[in-house]
Amino acid sequence: MKGMKLLTGAAVLVLGSLALSACSGPSDSSSDSKVSMTLWHNATTGPGAAFWKTTVADFEKANPNVTIKVQAIQNEDLDGKLQTALNSGDAPDIFLQRGGGKMAAMVQAGQLMDLTDKVSSDTKKVVSDASFKAETYQDKVWAMPVSVLPGGLFYSQDLFKAAGITEAPATIDDLSADVQKLKATGVAPIALGAKDAWPAAHWFYWFALRECSPATMEKTADSKDFSDGCWLKAAQDLQDFAAQNPFNDGFLTTSAQQGAGSSAGLVANHKAAMELMGAWDPGVIASLTPDQKPLPDLGFYPFPELSGGKGEPGAIMGGVDGYSCSVKAPKQCADFLNYIATTPVQEAYYKAFNAPPVNTEAQKQVTEPYLQDVLAAYNKAPYVSQWLDTVLGQNIGNALNVAVVDMLAGKSDPKGLIQAANDAAKKG
Amino acid sequence: MSTTRETTRPGSVSTSDLAQHDGSGAKASLPSRPRRRGAGWSGRAEIALLAGPAVIVFLAFVILPVAMAAYYGFYRWAGYGPPTDFVGLQNYVVILTDPAFLQAIGHNAFIVVMSLVIQGPIAILLALLLNRRMRGQSIIRILIFVPYVISEVVVGTGWSLMLSTNGALNGMLHNLGLGSLAHDWLSDPNIAIWTLMGILTWKYVGFAVILFLAGLQGIPEELYEAAALDGASYWQMQRRITLPLLGPTLRIWAFLSIIGALQLFDLVYIIWGQYVASTAGTSTMATYMVANGRNAGNYGYGNAVAVVIFLISLVVALIYQRFVLRRDTAGALTERKTR
Repeated sequence: MKGMKLLTGAAVLVLGSLALSACSGPSDSSSDSKVSMTLWHNATTGPGAAFWKTTVADFEKANPNVTIKVQAIQNEDLDGKLQTALNSGDAPDIFLQRGGGKMAAMVQAGQLMDLTDKVSSDTKKVVSDASFKAETYQDKVWAMPVSVLPGGLFYSQDLFKAAGITEAPATIDDLSADVQKLKATGVAPIALGAKDAWPAAHWFYWFALRECSPATMEKTADSKDFSDGCWLKAAQDLQDFAAQNPFNDGFLTTSAQQGAGSSAGLVANHKAAMELMGAWDPGVIASLTPDQKPLPDLGFYPFPELSGGKGEPGAIMGGVDGYSCSVKAPKQCADFLNYIATTPVQEAYYKAFNAPPVNTEAQKQVTEPYLQDVLAAYNKAPYVSQWLDTVLGQNIGNALNVAVVDMLAGKSDPKGLIQAANDAAKKG
Repeated sequence: MSTTRETTRPGSVSTSDLAQHDGSGAKASLPSRPRRRGAGWSGRAEIALLAGPAVIVFLAFVILPVAMAAYYGFYRWAGYGPPTDFVGLQNYVVILTDPAFLQAIGHNAFIVVMSLVIQGPIAILLALLLNRRMRGQSIIRILIFVPYVISEVVVGTGWSLMLSTNGALNGMLHNLGLGSLAHDWLSDPNIAIWTLMGILTWKYVGFAVILFLAGLQGIPEELYEAAALDGASYWQMQRRITLPLLGPTLRIWAFLSIIGALQLFDLVYIIWGQYVASTAGTSTMATYMVANGRNAGNYGYGNAVAVVIFLISLVVALIYQRFVLRRDTAGALTERKTR
């Protein structure tokens, strides 16, 4: 009995002191308690996966009370899994954010943490307002940008030389002529990962960027109405361009990034001369070369100009990859996001992914000529549009992606493409 | 044919007889149930205990999701937050007028018919072959059955690598000097569905063979001996004895095959991915549902598609049970007839 009383007394004391310590003083209580978070990213292999492991380990070392569980998810599966997780209330705390319509939908559903006041002044010094603009919706910041990923054509300089091409094509007519020259050498002129739909759709989006004025592009993003003639014209341009069979055989079931048979793999192994991609492509190609090192003869040129279009010459399309915090995430999530925007981490990001970092200090480290070309084109561009499928949102974007594939496979025509985009509105 | 059945299954009646005796007549001939001691509370407790867990699981994981899908199907819903935008039957109108969905139904129907027409005869011949004593029998059995055991993901990935434009099959054809036979097996819309049929046959014929082998084991040897004494040839015996007595097995296999073909998803999804199945002409109702529901973020619409698939499968299954399987399920799903 006596022992029991003693024990009880001790327990009361311990509990009391715990309660006191929890309440006492101005010290930040949450930073003392253990915090664990989950992180979802899309780098399943190679240096990209290693980057996230190292970055998280370093952050945990500096913040011993924080543990972050890292989970890599195949890029094409990420969006679906993320949406399921968000809807089931089981969202990861930190996750890849592609911006555009998808981010807007997440904001509207109250699923993202508002980062507007959580971006540190140090971060603001090294990350440009333009980059934050891509992660802004209704005047609030919802994600930390980590990488600028403008698109364009990545090509093998050796294969171009072998075909007698001395200068990267500046117009679509040049490109068509080069396609014929490349064909004569027996390689596939252009690799296309149509199995994933969006790589094919990018061709249409780029033609639209050349045909449509920035004002039309932005109006359509809002109204999702494709009645302006420039959209049909862009579809027609693509169909005409595709008529010369510039793409690799079997492009319909070629994936974009998975294995040597993918479009990036075809470029990496000199089976195809080029592909239209975003600036993540050098990293993807590097992971698919025989020795898993960057392709030595990789070059970049912006999407060629088109005569007679209403688009601004030099206009560029691309995304800004960022990371968001779930609305339920602990406040350390914002600390982690500020950490990944710091110059050393951004330099490591650039080295791991072979993609241009968003941090302007880290951008100075970029040595590869093709990435310098990417950044030059990006910084020179009079108008930068987000990827159109992202802008238009999941429903229309998805329908348009598939509609472009249908047209390229000969199952539909430019009118059908526009019709498919309009029809999708009925389903969602 | 019918004589054989009646000799082996005394008491079973032909379909025409059944039609006449249907309903009250059958019920009247039921023997009165013997009264069991302890029926009442303890009996009910026993039933509840034994059937309860299964009933709960069935309600929670079959009936509830169906009801939820029916509910969501009436909404335009992007999947964020609870559905609010009630649209009535609008989703169903769009589904049933969408040419992409009608094409998907067509592909399903094609696969249903072709699975029966192609796999049935092949499986029967293989089963007859394997039912005889011969060397290497077990190895052949394993080889035929292994594809069925391998997961769909592995099968799909393997075949898509081998059949791609620069894949092993085309490589082999070129090396054999048969380059003219090389095709875009997966991406040519004129060929793709036949490629799919080939893979489905390769994968599922083993299952049919095993079923048929089991069915063959159940046929009494005496019948063949008697037939042999009467001077029947091998093929006559198969036609007059084996096929009729294999009937119940055949009908069950056909049922499983039809339902499987109606719900086909995984192989198509693995080989053609999330987007291009409809372009390649291999989309099914289930891939349409995922493409236009989950991928497009139209969860209300996707649920409505799920309901349509459910109804189609249900109707087909009920019709099949009512008209084809009724002899085989007599006594299990319906009251047993007196013998």
